[in-house]
Amino acid sequence: MNSIDANIVIWLNGFVGNVKAFDDLMRIIASDYLLPLVFSLGMLGLWFSGTTPAQRLRYQHTMLMGISALAISNVVVWIFNISWDRPRPFIEYGDQLNLLFYPPTDPSFPANPVAVGFAVATAAWTVNRKFGWWMYGAAALFGFSRLYAGVFYPTDIIGGAIVGIAIYGFTTYLRRFLEPITTGFVRLIRGISAA
Amino acid sequence: MNTDPGVVRALFASHYFLFAFLTSLGTLQIAVSNAGTRGLWMTPNAGMTRLLGIALILTAIAVFFLQPLWVDGPWAAGSVEADSLTRDWGTASWDEIAGARNVNDIHGGLDGVKQAAWFSLAAISAFLVSAIAGTVTMKVLAFADQQTGETASRDDSDGLEGLIRRSYFSNLPDSFRNFKSEIGDVWRSGIRNSDRWSLIKTVFSRSSK
Repeated sequence: MNSIDANIVIWLNGFVGNVKAFDDLMRIIASDYLLPLVFSLGMLGLWFSGTTPAQRLRYQHTMLMGISALAISNVVVWIFNISWDRPRPFIEYGDQLNLLFYPPTDPSFPANPVAVGFAVATAAWTVNRKFGWWMYGAAALFGFSRLYAGVFYPTDIIGGAIVGIAIYGFTTYLRRFLEPITTGFVRLIRGISAA
Repeated sequence: MNTDPGVVRALFASHYFLFAFLTSLGTLQIAVSNAGTRGLWMTPNAGMTRLLGIALILTAIAVFFLQPLWVDGPWAAGSVEADSLTRDWGTASWDEIAGARNVNDIHGGLDGVKQAAWFSLAAISAFLVSAIAGTVTMKVLAFADQQTGETASRDDSDGLEGLIRRSYFSNLPDSFRNFKSEIGDVWRSGIRNSDRWSLIKTVFSRSSK
């Protein structure tokens, strides 16, 4: 399994240097700032997008669940990281990879940015399929760019996606225990004309 | 890196805040134009507001990723391909611009928690700017027609629903008054609907009966 994983990342990273414009695009997409901001903006947009009071309320509760899932995903990834210190591909196969990104120092499995992206995308998907698919696409692209850059294995990306989706499911279950705090919070924000 | 990570972090924070603020403002304008929430529109027309939103987002992305061309930082030409620890201070070259922003958070980039904090501040700022601009737009350009005044006095809608017909500041008193009168019911019905194992339900159910 490990060698298949390594072969895929080495094969994919082997395309680095062929088309500079594509490498540059992957560097920007892999950035810590672009797609994480897109995920946050997706949630911000969702908050204000409802066209009827009922739809607005549904979107806003989903947004709160999405943000909570994002935070919990980070904790779950951290627990994985302290349990299994999987080395990054550029550490194990540095001589065969052309690193396009700075060398991260945390463990490889599961891919934290992918977990976060899939948690948010799942939240979006539950209320708006079309928007959700776009968000899934962005999260998948983020994972691909990090794979291409040589900082994750394919199984890290898959693991991150599974963690993100599962954590969103868990968060929606958790909501039943957090009432009336979530509804009260949305009502409070409506009290200042922002919900 | 030949510079103190604290200096790099301060530089990244200011750039990121501007990036997050402009993109939040753009996203907000697109969302409220689609939802018809006129009290937050920065222009009197839905189409123009949407275009403004798209322009703000594209401008923010371009500024953030091209800024290393003219602003000194840990991305001096010739050093961007190096580990973010050993880069030089200066402006980036066109050839290296795509990788200039890729600086590890332990070397001065922003980690997830800092990004979340700056993003929250930027989103709140974007909302306030939209509220003020929406108020000015509705008043100065007489965006709210004469009916709005009548509607506002009869209409008890609040929150974003109220902003469809009113400016933020004329909607705020009604929103707050309704919040004060409804929050008790919201709390009690929330406790009724929560899971039977909920700690909140266990603690508060007696007082809410």
